[in-house]
Amino acid sequence: MAMRNAYIDQFPKEARVIRAILWSSFLALTIGGTLGLIQGLHRTNVLRFIPSQDYYTVLTAHGVLLVITFTIFFLVGIFTWAVTTSLDRGVKDIRFTWGWYAIMMIGTLLVGVSILGGVVDQIPMNADVLYTFYSPFQAHPAFYVGFVLFVVGTWLAGFDWFRTWWAWKKDNPDERIPLPTFMALTTMLFWYLSSIGVAISILAFLLPWSLGIIDSVNPLLTRTLFWFFGHPVVYFWLMPAYMLWYTMLPKLSGGKLFSDPLARVVFVLFLILSTPVGIHHQYLDPGIAEGFKFIAMTNTMFLLLPSLLTAFTVVASMEHGARQRGGKGYLSWLKALPWRDPAFTGMALAGLMFAAGGFSGMINAGLSINYLVHNSWWVVGHFHLTVGTAAALTFMAASYWFIPQLTGKEIWNRSLGLVQVVLWFIGMTFMSNAMHRAGLFGMPRRTAEPQYQGFDFEPAVGTVAEIDAQVALGAALLTLSVYLFITNMVLTTIGGSTSDAIPDNTYAGTLSGPEDAPVIIDNLKLWTSIAVVLVIIAYSLPLASIIDAGGLFGPGIDPWKPSVVADPSLVLESVRGVMP
Amino acid sequence: MNIHTYEKTWLAVSMVLIVGFIATVTYGAVGPGIAMIDDDGGSIDPDTINDDERFNDPGVTHVGENEYEAAVVAQAWTYTPSEITVPANSTVTFYVTSRDVTHSFTVAGTNVNTMVVPGQISEMTVEFDEPGEYGILCNEYCGAYHHTMEGKLNVVPQDEFDLTELSTDASDEAQLGNQTTINTTVSNDMNYDLETTATLEIGDQQSLEQDVTVPAHGSETVEFAVDTTDLGTGDHDWTVTVDGHEESDTLTVTNATEGGDGDA
Amino acid sequence: MSSAIEKGVDGKHPTNETDQVRELDHDEYDPIGTAILVGIYFLILVALWIFMYFVEFLGNGPTVTGVLLTVVGLA
Ligand code: HEM
Ligand SMILES: [Cu+2]
Ligand SMILES: [Cu+2]
Repeated sequence: MAMRNAYIDQFPKEARVIRAILWSSFLALTIGGTLGLIQGLHRTNVLRFIPSQDYYTVLTAHGVLLVITFTIFFLVGIFTWAVTTSLDRGVKDIRFTWGWYAIMMIGTLLVGVSILGGVVDQIPMNADVLYTFYSPFQAHPAFYVGFVLFVVGTWLAGFDWFRTWWAWKKDNPDERIPLPTFMALTTMLFWYLSSIGVAISILAFLLPWSLGIIDSVNPLLTRTLFWFFGHPVVYFWLMPAYMLWYTMLPKLSGGKLFSDPLARVVFVLFLILSTPVGIHHQYLDPGIAEGFKFIAMTNTMFLLLPSLLTAFTVVASMEHGARQRGGKGYLSWLKALPWRDPAFTGMALAGLMFAAGGFSGMINAGLSINYLVHNSWWVVGHFHLTVGTAAALTFMAASYWFIPQLTGKEIWNRSLGLVQVVLWFIGMTFMSNAMHRAGLFGMPRRTAEPQYQGFDFEPAVGTVAEIDAQVALGAALLTLSVYLFITNMVLTTIGGSTSDAIPDNTYAGTLSGPEDAPVIIDNLKLWTSIAVVLVIIAYSLPLASIIDAGGLFGPGIDPWKPSVVADPSLVLESVRGVMP
Repeated sequence: MNIHTYEKTWLAVSMVLIVGFIATVTYGAVGPGIAMIDDDGGSIDPDTINDDERFNDPGVTHVGENEYEAAVVAQAWTYTPSEITVPANSTVTFYVTSRDVTHSFTVAGTNVNTMVVPGQISEMTVEFDEPGEYGILCNEYCGAYHHTMEGKLNVVPQDEFDLTELSTDASDEAQLGNQTTINTTVSNDMNYDLETTATLEIGDQQSLEQDVTVPAHGSETVEFAVDTTDLGTGDHDWTVTVDGHEESDTLTVTNATEGGDGDA
Repeated sequence: MSSAIEKGVDGKHPTNETDQVRELDHDEYDPIGTAILVGIYFLILVALWIFMYFVEFLGNGPTVTGVLLTVVGLA
């Protein structure tokens, strides 16, 4: 047998950390997916076994575990792989790497326990505030501290990658930044820039407020700071998937990346444009002038460009693979792709769903049409296609390639892997399509029982019952898919046999390489400065006017601790009390 | 940079798409005149809502020929008022604010939808052409019973619409031979005077009428003097009717000697 | 398609380099299939956008309107 050259052989120490990180991520996915099923069945009234008040604890956990824990753990794991592999050098000090992982874990546990307090009486905490934690909802301080720790952990992870790159640059002064590293670094730069928003929101306002140091906050201000971070975070989820589409998918297809320079341009555009768009989540907020919203829309629309370019480059790379594998014709080359490989098929299906999610995202970006879709189930349908599939399914699919790299073991059952990714695709088609449709006749998101006393929804096509059935079916298939995935991963890790046939740890070559890209593209300082300037332009006036109108600490806003009030009839009494 | 012709074309096509999207939205603002919720509503300290002129008695007010204002206070987990009625062919400006957490004010199945953030007033103007009944719901999580937060919006034909309200002050009992009064306060939230007739029907025989003029955004009290001798002892149902609105109750006339006991 | 292409050399991994039957470099390769696919995508996007904006949205009145055109109101 030839010498095996998998990641675990090249970087055994890093492989250990990344394994731990990915396991944290998979655990979050398994719990989060289970909660998703509970929600899907509860809302549609197919099966309700928790009180509706607890629905919001479940939903908080689902949101946090999936879009913070699962995705971001996967990101830091895969970026560590990307940087070390493409620079061909280990991290500077593995203890530091374990260190930031530990900080992220502690953060996760604090957040997790405070959310759990919403349903476990023995835990005297509450954080039923959903993953957006809009004030004046007030979570237990541990929730905010945990959130900050988690983010600080990612900042340190970024530092780890930057200094690995700096060390590499010293040894290779004239070389272009290898593409995977370039992608990790540009992603981190906009992450640093945007997470300042949530850091200020928590450290300057929400945390001191939850500790009783200040007694009021300005809800519109903390909300705006959240979305300053909240849109870029969606690209933070997506960038590892993009990186995998650019650097792994061409190779899995049997071809090469069509254009390295355009891939760089795409990531530079994300660095520049990811942050000055957050106000598009606030199109229907009072207190923000229409002009600012229009600017946010314009920036958002131009942010479609890098994704549209990605669609071309990635599909062209797949086509290149297919043709090298003997594919012919205008479209029949599609048949020559390796559809039996779960890593390939999962990523390709994720990309296809992203094309659909991209469309609903274009609608979300349209300023006035937001009246139709804002906070409706349409939006939930949308992001289950983007983060919930484009990112999540890509991560699961990539694991069929990465876990052997990280463990030196064969996947326990590759055919099951194929079934798993296809099942996700089918389940999501049902669930997200039904959610989109429900949104169009006004069914709200984040609602335990969207069945009202005084009126019924009137779908133009189909019925509410049929839509509910599709959501429940889709949710069941998706959860089954998660369980198949985790079973495969567990059995690979504990039961699988070490194999010498694990492929080498490589990523895709390029048809047009970095030498075709102008050197200025690698000038990270330049792009970061432009990003900062755009953020200042987009945000300084809106923030100033919000503070001017409502004060830095708001006009006497009282905290609202979620489950203090347990009974609506009591509240109705108090309503009568306060009404004149 | 070495970019394939197809990809250059795709870049150009993508730009067309983006510009087309922005152009469509701009058309929406200029053509159909769609306006976004913005900072026009101003801000408010939630603790002062009860002292606020607009919100201390929330509801619908007539402000111009076919123009109305509707003030709504959202709080966990109701809207005040929970039922809003406006006429068809009208332009209604909603002012919505929150007493506690963030809510939404969303008219299901329409494009009337706004966030309601404490400290802020959401102002939006809507034209209602056709009569119809709509549900109002909250689509932002606002606590454990968020899913119970709903309201109703009725758009009624113009000829069925007014902003007249009655409230009556009358005693339940009177002694035979004494006079008693039934006072009805008629309020008018239209911005023109209401000239109408108030009618009291009591017992089998008596029917009293009075002309009344209620000033715009004001109220007027009509006093009906009831002569108990004509009625005789016993229970007498009465109804005050003003402008199609009715108030009714029962007056019990007792014998002078029997004191408070109403039974004959 | 031969089974060697389907399964790769070791019979397990589609280790794709080995499935290659020819080598195509940048100048020999025109992504015509990609151009067709993204072209179709473009048409779908345009059609759905028009449907969503003009039918689903504008047809879903009442809608919030304003007298003042404040779209470019930043100025
Ligand atoms: C087993 C698979 C899944 C199922 C069955 C599922 C189901 C659901 C359902 C029914 C809701 C709607 C709750 C509501 O609006 O009331 C929801 C919300 C959500 N889901 Fe999922 N989901 C799944 C996977 C995922 C994944 C993989 C992600 C992201 C990586 C994700 C992210 C979210 C987020 C962010 C929300 C919104 C939370 C909020 O409104 O605060 N879900 N999910
Ligand atoms: Cu966004
Ligand atoms: Cu609510």
